[in-house]
Amino acid sequence: MNAMTTRAERKQKFVLQGIPFIIFGIAAIPIWKALKKTDAADMQVVSPNVLSMLLNDLYILLSVSCLAILLGIVCAFYLEEWLPKNNWARRLIESHVAILTSIPSTLYGILAISIFFSYAGTLKVIDGAPPAQNTESIPFQRNTTLFCGEVLTFIFMVTPVTIKTTQEALRSVATPVREAVFALGASQWQVLRQHVVPIAFIRILAGGCRAMSRAFATAALLIGIYIWYDTTDAGGMSGRFILFLAVSLFLSVFSSSLTEVYDSDLTQRS
Amino acid sequence: MNHSIETENLSLWYGDFQALIDVNVKIPDGQITSLIGPSGCGKTTLLRCFNRVNERYGNVTTEGKIEILGKNIYDPDVSLPELRKAVGMVFQRPNPLPISVYENILFGLRIHSPMRSLTRTESDQIVEEALTSVFLWEDLKDKLKARATSLQLEQQQKLCIARLLPLKPKIILMDEPCSALDAKGTLAVEELMEVLAGTYTFLIVTHNMAQARRVSEECIFMFLGELIEHRETQALFDEPKHEKTADYVQMRYG
Ligand SMILES: Nc1ncnc2c1ncn2[C@@H]1O[C@H](COP(=O)(O)OP(=O)(O)OP(=O)(O)O)[C@@H](O)[C@H]1O
Ligand SMILES: [Mg+2]
Repeated sequence: MNAMTTRAERKQKFVLQGIPFIIFGIAAIPIWKALKKTDAADMQVVSPNVLSMLLNDLYILLSVSCLAILLGIVCAFYLEEWLPKNNWARRLIESHVAILTSIPSTLYGILAISIFFSYAGTLKVIDGAPPAQNTESIPFQRNTTLFCGEVLTFIFMVTPVTIKTTQEALRSVATPVREAVFALGASQWQVLRQHVVPIAFIRILAGGCRAMSRAFATAALLIGIYIWYDTTDAGGMSGRFILFLAVSLFLSVFSSSLTEVYDSDLTQRS
Repeated sequence: MNHSIETENLSLWYGDFQALIDVNVKIPDGQITSLIGPSGCGKTTLLRCFNRVNERYGNVTTEGKIEILGKNIYDPDVSLPELRKAVGMVFQRPNPLPISVYENILFGLRIHSPMRSLTRTESDQIVEEALTSVFLWEDLKDKLKARATSLQLEQQQKLCIARLLPLKPKIILMDEPCSALDAKGTLAVEELMEVLAGTYTFLIVTHNMAQARRVSEECIFMFLGELIEHRETQALFDEPKHEKTADYVQMRYG
């Protein structure tokens, strides 16, 4: 099939895959500016209570990445189970996903810092919310721009990886067996709920954990850089560093043990 | 004689390609009918029309009429789940679900009935009945919790037949059900069909002439999307009316 693509198909593919490059190209301009004048002042945080700050941080990032994973899973189900194979939207998203997943995760961190810091001014207007004044209810007073940046970076990092792993998990459910379930009179929804999801579940979960682990590792790395940059350790950054590393490590070990369960399950099956 | 399946000028296109051309066929009730023809002549396509699974392939257009058990299956008030309950299908490669034998048998019922509406005793009984009808009960009664995909191929294929039975189908469509089985498995499945015929109407696609002769009362020969000849099996093989039928039957047979 691949070798036999027509000229028109190749043309279309080229255009579709070109779009992400253009987007990254546009993004590269502020990066260039940012690299020239990154100001550590944006990162200054004040906290009376290091522990609650750490937990607060972890809590936010965990919930954000869970949301990103959920988004990825929904997206993958839609692409894989509802859109036809040669749908243009499907090809557009898949080529983006392919590019986003092939970017090394460190690069995301660096891109994120540069882009979001340099856009600090504009983003503040967009998200609008003034920083909370009551430092007692919110122990860690966040810079809203930074926060939005983190959220967006997490979504950009976690979602494509989840889409890819979920799609692979769904494809691993054998088509002949799906057909049998259809022929027994099941609806598309029943096929998914009663047959596909139970089989693919562990792999989907493992993929989500892997994506999350990647994101936490990158966050830890960035904090590491920051510590190196600012040795005063304001705001308990080294605590954060260790916490993130631990979470990342835990998630990756968890994910690989899940994959092992799945694989042993598979060998039993055949 | 009554007919379970009746088509009238049935044509089907995959995109621009016409895979079925004006097929008119009547399949008798409670008998085994076989469907033969060279590769790519539309046997599977015709079979898939009868439980409307062709529609899943997106670019399919169908014209003409299909009546199953006296009801036009393209009427707007036809419920697909009910149609597929009445018309079961067995595939070329045994494809049991990768769950236990017990759950495989109940899977169809679970799709068609509300959650947890089956009691334990009911389901035990259903499983025993279904496995007994396909002669698997003795072999599998101690292995009900085993994964269905770990069984021998022959047992898997019988299980695939057994899982249709709790839904009380009227018609069972089989697409080359024995091509993955050895001689012994093939005979076992044929024997099973002969026992079940009468209760169910069978339509079986096969590339094995000897099998068509052994099991079926009537035989349909198809060629390039057209139905060429449909007669009693014996007659079709011994004195084919049509040249193409003769060529096919003799080429494969001699
Ligand atoms: N989903 C599809 N999309 C497009 N063309 C198809 C599709 N399925 C089948 N065809 C074409 O329709 C024709 C009939 O196919 P079909 O599978 O019904 O043949 P068959 O008689 O079952 O062949 P075989 O003996 O090899 O199983 C073939 O030419 C095939 O290429
Ligand atoms: Mg076929």
